[in-house]
Amino acid sequence: MINVLLVGAPNSGKSALFNRLTGLKHKVANYPGITIDVGSGSLTSNPQVTLWDFPGTYSLSPVSGEERIAIAGLRSALHDSQDALVAMVLDATRLEKGLTYCLQVAREAAQAGKSFVVLLNMMDLIESDSLELDVSGLGTALGVSIYPVSARTAKGIAAVEQALQTGDQNVAPWADTPDALIRGTAQQIGKRFTPKGDLLVRRQALIDQWLLGTVSGGFAFVIIMTLFFQAIFTWAAPLMDGVEAVVIAIGSIMTSVMPEGFLADFVGDAIFGGLGAFLVFVPLVFILTLIIGALEDSGYLARAALICHRPLSLFGLSGKSFVPLLSGVACAIPAIYAARTMSSMQERLLTYVAIPLMPCSARLPVYALLIAILIPNETALGGLIGWQGLAMSAIYFFGISTALLVAAVVNRMGDRDRSGGPFILELPAYRLPASRTIFSAALNRAGHFVRKAGSAIFAVTVVVWFFGYFPNGGEDLSSSWLASIGRFIEPVFSPLGLDWRYGVAIIASFLAREVFVGTLGTIFGIESADADLVPLADQITASGLTVASGAALVVFFTIALQCVSTVALLAREANSARFAVTLMTGYLVLAWVAAFVVYNLAAALLS
Amino acid sequence: MSIPTQPSASTSLWCLAVGESREIVSIEGAKADSAAQRLVDIGFREGQRVTCLMRPGFGAPRVYAVGGATYSLDQQTAICVIVSEESRT
Repeated sequence: MINVLLVGAPNSGKSALFNRLTGLKHKVANYPGITIDVGSGSLTSNPQVTLWDFPGTYSLSPVSGEERIAIAGLRSALHDSQDALVAMVLDATRLEKGLTYCLQVAREAAQAGKSFVVLLNMMDLIESDSLELDVSGLGTALGVSIYPVSARTAKGIAAVEQALQTGDQNVAPWADTPDALIRGTAQQIGKRFTPKGDLLVRRQALIDQWLLGTVSGGFAFVIIMTLFFQAIFTWAAPLMDGVEAVVIAIGSIMTSVMPEGFLADFVGDAIFGGLGAFLVFVPLVFILTLIIGALEDSGYLARAALICHRPLSLFGLSGKSFVPLLSGVACAIPAIYAARTMSSMQERLLTYVAIPLMPCSARLPVYALLIAILIPNETALGGLIGWQGLAMSAIYFFGISTALLVAAVVNRMGDRDRSGGPFILELPAYRLPASRTIFSAALNRAGHFVRKAGSAIFAVTVVVWFFGYFPNGGEDLSSSWLASIGRFIEPVFSPLGLDWRYGVAIIASFLAREVFVGTLGTIFGIESADADLVPLADQITASGLTVASGAALVVFFTIALQCVSTVALLAREANSARFAVTLMTGYLVLAWVAAFVVYNLAAALLS
Repeated sequence: MSIPTQPSASTSLWCLAVGESREIVSIEGAKADSAAQRLVDIGFREGQRVTCLMRPGFGAPRVYAVGGATYSLDQQTAICVIVSEESRT
C-alpha cells in the first residue's frame, strides 16, 4: 500500500489531477482555495495506491483556518504514514508562486524520510502558447524527479501513474536547509526557469480591461448576474415541465392499474403527490450548479470578488465573502466551508451571519411554487423577459439585500475593527470552462440534493399522508387527525393569513425546507382526490391563497433559518453552539415579524 | 478604512500607473504579520519586479503581476509594498 500526498499552491490544478488519476469527482474550479477538505481515492490503474488531495496553500506558514487544517494534516500524514510519497503539483505557467511551498514541503518530507516528486501541471498551456520551459533543468535545480503533465488533456498521465506506483523516488536534498535559504533559493529558481515572455499575463490583462474596467466591469457584472438569475428559472422551465409530465404520466399509469382504496390513495397522494411535487424542482438545482460551476471554471468569480470588495466592505464584509455568499445561492453547507479561506475570523463570522439568508437551492422549490401561484406565466419584450423569472430575480434580490443589511447591522453592533482584514487574491487565468467537469459536478449536486432531501421528504410525506388519511379514509381532510394538529398550531400562522394546512407544511419544513412543497403536495392531493395528480400550483390557486399570504410566505422562507445541517455546521465552524442557536432563533423571530408586516401591508394595499 | 500613515504613499505599490513596472524595496507597515508573510509567500519579495495591470475605479483593489502570476491587492495592503522610485514601463 502506497499513500501519495498530493500538495501544491492554490489553483495549481491539484484536484483536477486527483480526479484524472482516481476517476473520482472532487469539486474542481478555477478559483483559489476550492479544496476545503482532504479527499482521498485510489489510483485507477492500481488500487494499492491511495491519493490524498490536500487543500492548497502558498507556504507552511498558514494565514487561514483552511491552511491551518491543510498543514497540520500534511505534517501528521508525513510522520504517521509508513509508505508515503509526496507529490508536489506546480503550475507550469505560474511557477514562482508554488516554489517556496514546494521546497518547504520537500524539506519536511526529507526530514521524515519520505520520497518527493514534482508534477509540473498545465503543460498544455505552455505548449499551446509555444513557451519554453526547461523541465529537466528545473528538476535538477530542485534535486527531485519531475513529471510534465496536463490534467486537462491527460498528456503525461501514464508517466505520472507509473511514478506514483513505484513509490521509490528520491528523498529531496533539502533536509537541513534553513527557511531563509529556502525562500531565496525558490526565488532564484523561479527567476531562472519561469517561461520567458508574458503572453499569458498580457492575454489575461486584455480581458481584464473589459471585465474590470470602471464602467465596463460594473456593466459586465450586472449583465452576468442578471443572466445568472434569469437562467436559473427560464432555462430550467422546460426541464421542469418534462419532469412534471413524466411524474404525472407514471403516477397515472400506476394508480390506474391499482384497485381503488388504501394502496392507490397512498401511491397517488403520498408518493406522486408529495415526493413527485419535490422532484419537479431538481432541474433547478442542476442548472444553478451548472452556471456557478461555469463561472468558477472560467476564472470570472475571482474578478467578481474583486469588483464586490468595496461594496461588500460597506457592510463589514470583503471581496472574499463573495464566493461563499454566491455558493450560498446553491447551498449553505459548501458556502460555510468556502468561508474557511478567509483569514480574518471577524470577517468569517460576519459571512456566516449572511450565508443563511442567501436564497439557497432548498428555498428554490418553495419560491418556484409560490411564484407559479402568484405571478402569471407571461412574457414581455418579445419573450425575452418572463414575469415569473423577474419575480424570482426580485426574491433573490430581497434575500441578498436582507443578508447584507443584517451583516451591516451586526457589524455595527459588534465591538470590532471595521477596517477589515487585508485583501490579497490571486486572479487565475481565464479559460473555457471544462464542460465535462462542470456537467458532472452539477449532476452530482442534483443527485446529492435528491438523496439528502428525498429521504426526509419521503418520511414526512408518509407521516403527513397517514395523519391526513385517517380516521375517515381520506373522505374529509378537514376532520382528519392532521387537521386537528394543524388547528392546534394555527394561531401561530393565522396572523399571516395562513390556515392550518400551511402551518403543517411550515412545521414539516423544519426538517428540510423542500419538505414544504412535498407536504402541501400530499395535503392537496388528499383534499382534491377527484382531480388527482393535478399540478400542485393549480390546486393551491383553486384553494384561494391570497396574494398577501403568498407574499408573507415568501418573506418567511427568505429569512427563516430552518436547515438543521446548516445550524450544526455553523456551530462547528464558528466553534460556538451559542452563535448557531442565536442565529437560528433570531432569524425565526425576524422571519415571522417581517412576514406579519408584509402580510398586513399587502392586505391593506390590495383591499 | 484606516490607512497607515507610514510608509509614504509616493513610493508604494498603490501609486503605480497602469503598465508601470517597479522593483520591490521592502514590505512595511503591513496591518497584520500574516499579510506581510502572505505577500512574501506569493512573490512580493525584495528585488522582485512588479507591474500594475489594472486600476479599477471607486477604490477597488488593484491588479498586479509578479513572478508570472496576477494578484489583486486592496489599498491598505498595496500601500505596504514599497517600490523603487525608478520606472520602466
